[in-house]
Amino acid sequence: MAKLRLEKFKPLVALAAFLLFWWILPASVKSFTRLNLAEFHAPAWLVTTKIDQLSDFWAARNHSKIELLEAGRDLARTNARYQVIAQRYQTLEEEIERLENLLALPPHQAFHHEVARVIRRDLNAWWQHLLIRKGRDYQIPVGAAVIFSGGVVGRVVEVYAYTSRVELVSSPRFRMAASFEGDSRPVVYQGRIQSGFAPPRGEVSDVPQDLLTTSRSPLSLVSTQLGGTFPAGLKIGTVPWLAPGSTGIFQTGAVELDERLHELKEVTVLIPLLAPEASSHVH
Amino acid sequence: MRSSAWTLNRKASLFVKPEMEPLDHHKGENPRILFFIWLTLALTAILISGLAWRQLIDRDAYEVIEKRQTERRILKPGPRGDVYDRRGRLLVGNRPHYSAVVYLDDLRPEFRSRYSKLLKTARAVINERFNEMPPEERPDSLPHPDYNKLQWQARKEVIQQYLDQINAITGREDRLKESQLIRHFNENLLLPLPLVRDLTPNQYARLVEQIPPPPGSPIQIHTDTARYYPYRELAAHLLGYVQNKNLAPEEFPNDGIKTFAFQKKVGRSGLEASFNDELTGTTGRELWRVDPLGFQDTRLELDAPQQGQSLNISIDIDLQRAAETALGERTGAAVALDIHTGEVLALASHPTYNQNHLSPFIPQATFDQINETGAWLNRALQLSYPPGSTFKLLTAIAGMRHGSIDPETTHHCSGVYRVGNRVFRCHARNGHGNVQLADAIEGSCNVFFYAEGLSMGIDVLSAEAQRFGLDQKTGIELPYETKRNIVPSKEWKREATGSGWVPGDTANTAIGQGFLLATPLQMACFTASLARNETRTRPTILARSPHESESVDHGGEALDLTPRQRALLWQGMERVTGRDGTGRLVGIDDFRTAGKTGTADFRAHGKEVNLAWFIGFAPVENPQIAVAVMVEGTEESQAYHGGSTAGPIAKDLFLEFIKQYPERAGKLAKP
Repeated sequence: MAKLRLEKFKPLVALAAFLLFWWILPASVKSFTRLNLAEFHAPAWLVTTKIDQLSDFWAARNHSKIELLEAGRDLARTNARYQVIAQRYQTLEEEIERLENLLALPPHQAFHHEVARVIRRDLNAWWQHLLIRKGRDYQIPVGAAVIFSGGVVGRVVEVYAYTSRVELVSSPRFRMAASFEGDSRPVVYQGRIQSGFAPPRGEVSDVPQDLLTTSRSPLSLVSTQLGGTFPAGLKIGTVPWLAPGSTGIFQTGAVELDERLHELKEVTVLIPLLAPEASSHVH
Repeated sequence: MRSSAWTLNRKASLFVKPEMEPLDHHKGENPRILFFIWLTLALTAILISGLAWRQLIDRDAYEVIEKRQTERRILKPGPRGDVYDRRGRLLVGNRPHYSAVVYLDDLRPEFRSRYSKLLKTARAVINERFNEMPPEERPDSLPHPDYNKLQWQARKEVIQQYLDQINAITGREDRLKESQLIRHFNENLLLPLPLVRDLTPNQYARLVEQIPPPPGSPIQIHTDTARYYPYRELAAHLLGYVQNKNLAPEEFPNDGIKTFAFQKKVGRSGLEASFNDELTGTTGRELWRVDPLGFQDTRLELDAPQQGQSLNISIDIDLQRAAETALGERTGAAVALDIHTGEVLALASHPTYNQNHLSPFIPQATFDQINETGAWLNRALQLSYPPGSTFKLLTAIAGMRHGSIDPETTHHCSGVYRVGNRVFRCHARNGHGNVQLADAIEGSCNVFFYAEGLSMGIDVLSAEAQRFGLDQKTGIELPYETKRNIVPSKEWKREATGSGWVPGDTANTAIGQGFLLATPLQMACFTASLARNETRTRPTILARSPHESESVDHGGEALDLTPRQRALLWQGMERVTGRDGTGRLVGIDDFRTAGKTGTADFRAHGKEVNLAWFIGFAPVENPQIAVAVMVEGTEESQAYHGGSTAGPIAKDLFLEFIKQYPERAGKLAKP
């Protein structure tokens, strides 16, 4: 009888022993194990996304020729519009460069763009991190900025051989320096715990008192290059309200993030071309 | 034997009464058990009574003790109010003051771990040394390491490690001082320990992005406020500066709860000091529950600090800039007043300093530098100077009221005037010839005023100066206005020097020299009073509302000159800024100005130097602005003169007034 009772507790004892063993393991061993586990999983995730892509491809092949022709025509129009914008952008960039040379300004932090596909998003940490399909094989560095067409996505926090983990802008562990559009004063943006699948939100603090916002014309929060990670002007979100903070002079407020963060398929990693300098060397 | 009997008995009893409990058959029988039952009951009753006493009767006292032991309060002074000029432009505000801080509570596990390592190393070293010692020299037992020292070393090393992390990101090279750490531990354990203060926005942004938010890192980016002066040096003396100060004991709640407080900012000079109570914000409070070691656990209450009141002052920053730009690198002061309301439109004093360099704290090097240049002093009201020939206007008024001067009064100026055995000179070596009052004012003829001063006597002259309040403070709402305003009289000289009054003293006083001392602000008030046909002007630094401006009571009385006398005086003053006047450089086409120049001898910095003065008002047909400019020579070789040195500064002020207030400057003004 007693033996039977002991038999019942065996799995629990084994679990306890394993947890104890894991607990006493040195941090380096744990880190090594975690890393290897991620590397071990990576091929499976890569294959899954490849299969997804393949199924998308076959689904696309099922479209009729007329549909494809229409899509091609629309694409050509869009391309033409973007070419005009790109030309204008190029002209403006050259003008800025000319003026900067005239004023002998130091060069801007330049970035190399690397487009990467999102391969995994854990349901338990949907608004916290995602995995992208490029890693050390594309020289992705830890700390690199990750963006999409709607603005800031997050920052690379871990880099593996073929994948990288990105801390999302909505994660409570994500913090960045930001500024309001048209105002150069730095403020702090930080993600927060999200509630289910509601639109993602963050928090902004250290907002100067003279900035006013309304839900009808909310202020736009953008990145600033002061922090050295992101280029200036990338949209983070909109701030529909601000309230007095605990300092008595600065305000805090909620930031409504882009809802498209919910369904990211592809992102762009900005890889700095120059190593970031200490602020004392930046003018 | 006894044991077997008990067993049998028990068996028997069990057999007879199987439902009975083991102790039941002792009930009411065994006196020893009864004794223990009663003893237990009594002790329990005592315990319950004691507990009830403490819980119900002594509850309040214990609550206080519990609060003292487990609660801590943090006081956070509110930000100071803003200061705006008369057109609503921000002159003093608050800027973010970023610091990187650590809460020592978060570092306790690291302190312990580092301490263990250090202790282990120290013990190993002691053992090694002990073993290396010859046996006969060895002490009886192993010496102990200095535990206290090791503990501080461990704390310092852990914190320095985080400071190094900040240094790597910001490019700074800060080091932690052990004394700073010990002081913080003993006095402000609940407050964050500042590792780096006054980060630039760039450094702040880098730290925000590169240091993970809590709990990722114990380093926190703390945002506070520091005073900010957008116009830097402009109006530095008028606006003043603040200093960080600990809260006074009476500002701490007296309820026994241990209270920690952030430093507050207190005005030390200028408006910041005068209106300190209005500008000071309301202190916020946080109440924390702490653990037995005093580290914070849960926040129980939060009462956010509130910003202080804002002030609207009378200064026009454009006029202020004009005055300071015109003063340039020279030492001196310039004051501009609204003639009707007494509002100070500009109040400049040079040398000056950049107030932003004094915020958030005053570095010793900056303090020494300002001290060395004498820039702490507000020369417009903290120092008094001989007014020189500008005082001749007052002599003229006294003479006209006394009856010794009328439009026909004429004196011959040959360039010298003899009083007893002494020869007094006019600045025109060859003399001005025959001069009447308007000529004497225009050419600043000393001889005319020597003669008139001696004619009316010091009593009349002194009484007239006192009627204008030149012996008193103006009462402006700025601190440290000098009391050393001297209007000499016979009694004054006897008291101050012990010697009697001589006619030469009267002659000197009549031309604004001798013992006379006045501040530039006083002379500006005198000019405004003159322009308003009154004797007093009450200057104010606060902007008056349109309603208040309608009826301002300056005190004093009417000037008591006939329209003809007044016209004569004004005619002389207008001629000063005319083509042949001593203040011709002040003249502006199509804009009528009136004034008086002055050049005085003065002993300062251990040298005999010149003082250049100009006082005046404009426009003559409807006076609106009164100015007083004083430039102080700092070298004997500097030949400063009222007309050529102080005059152009006044002109710049008039020009800026025309530009900023064309409607008040009159229809002839060209904006």
